[in-house]
Amino acid sequence: MLIHRPDGAVTTPPADLSASPAVLSGKRIGLLDNRKPNADVLLGRLAERIVERTGATLVRTETKNAAIPCDDQVLGLLAEEVDVILTGTAD
Amino acid sequence: MHVDKLDEPTSVLLQVDDGADLVDALAQHGWGDGLPVVAPTPERVDAMLAGNPGDAVIAVLPPRFGEATRRTLAVNAVMAGCLPVHLPVLEAAVRALARPELNLRGVNATTHCVAPLLIVHGEVARTAGYHGGRGAFGPGNRANAATGRALRLVLLHVAGATIGDGDASTQGGPAKYGYCVAENVDASPWPAYPTTIGVDTASAVTVHCGEAPHNVHDMESDDPARILDKVASAMATTAQNNACISQGEYLVALCPEHAATCADAGWSRRDVASYLFQKARLPAAELKRAFALRAWEPWMERLGDHDPAPMTAHPDNIRILVVGGPGKHSSVIPSWGMTRSVTLPLADGPLGNEPTPC
Repeated sequence: MLIHRPDGAVTTPPADLSASPAVLSGKRIGLLDNRKPNADVLLGRLAERIVERTGATLVRTETKNAAIPCDDQVLGLLAEEVDVILTGTAD
Repeated sequence: MHVDKLDEPTSVLLQVDDGADLVDALAQHGWGDGLPVVAPTPERVDAMLAGNPGDAVIAVLPPRFGEATRRTLAVNAVMAGCLPVHLPVLEAAVRALARPELNLRGVNATTHCVAPLLIVHGEVARTAGYHGGRGAFGPGNRANAATGRALRLVLLHVAGATIGDGDASTQGGPAKYGYCVAENVDASPWPAYPTTIGVDTASAVTVHCGEAPHNVHDMESDDPARILDKVASAMATTAQNNACISQGEYLVALCPEHAATCADAGWSRRDVASYLFQKARLPAAELKRAFALRAWEPWMERLGDHDPAPMTAHPDNIRILVVGGPGKHSSVIPSWGMTRSVTLPLADGPLGNEPTPC
């Protein structure tokens, strides 16, 4: 029996993550907090540990609403000013 | 046309062994909703399209960013058990899903139990058999059941809203199997719902992304205020996203008898919404204590602790329509929050082939 696929084509593939830097020393770290409870605590502590261990610098912290895409202006600022973004999804 | 085996799907048509269990075969690829489906054979899909063109992209649905064409919708409509007369309703619903204010990416990806409720209005509800009367939210009507299910299959297959991947819902919800109803305009004392928001066509659909219906029963009241106080009670709770997201809408589905009590007292739909806006409130301090993070209008943030805070920022966010049959049960359908309902007309006449911006 022949049947049609139910899913259809995808012509706009989701964006891929950039390759992670091999060395964090000297890199600029940014935080993108999705404002879920304790996200700021978790991300802040992660950033502290990375700074302590690698000599990277925390240069910018931004927030976004978890339910909607990040504002382009915020993404633009982060893209200009940091090398690595720490963020999270969901709760 | 190129044909693949089902275990190597790369093209439009797939080969399934005649003796295979179709549900299991589809499930191996993450397709289906767990229930038996009608096999979407080319003959059935062509019959569903009824000679209308099928290959233009009418919407791109996140998070998979799958292209919804009329043919793809027809495939899912066949699987769900739809008839060709249901396809234009499904198409209008998918166009609504793609509107940016509906925020489908968030609706699909959230941990909340939200499901899109499809409401069918006007002439097509009568001609295609949609039901808005007794037991309308429940089983027993093919148009409601099949179209609601087809919309969910489109979300699963085209949008990629599969559990654990494109749908992070903590508990899911029964409304995610299918959630379709008609407005009971024949039993409504007020004009058809779409006309209240500027859609004045013979047929239309509304998609509201919210929770399952919360029941409100009132058997004894003969004045609007006493009935609506109970509706307001169902709205005024910290146990829903409206409590912390002030742009969220409420859909209030009044049964015909409750609506008649309101209208007989001279209350318009607007009067009902305004009354609920005033009555559905909690102390601002209680809401602030419950939600450290709020997406509230600035004026709500400035309320004093003892001020009664409304459950939504404006009476226009309280949408009233009539659903159901005899009896005195109405329902409140809270919103997911970061979404707006969308009402769109059905295409008039033969289906065209023009893509719609999405």
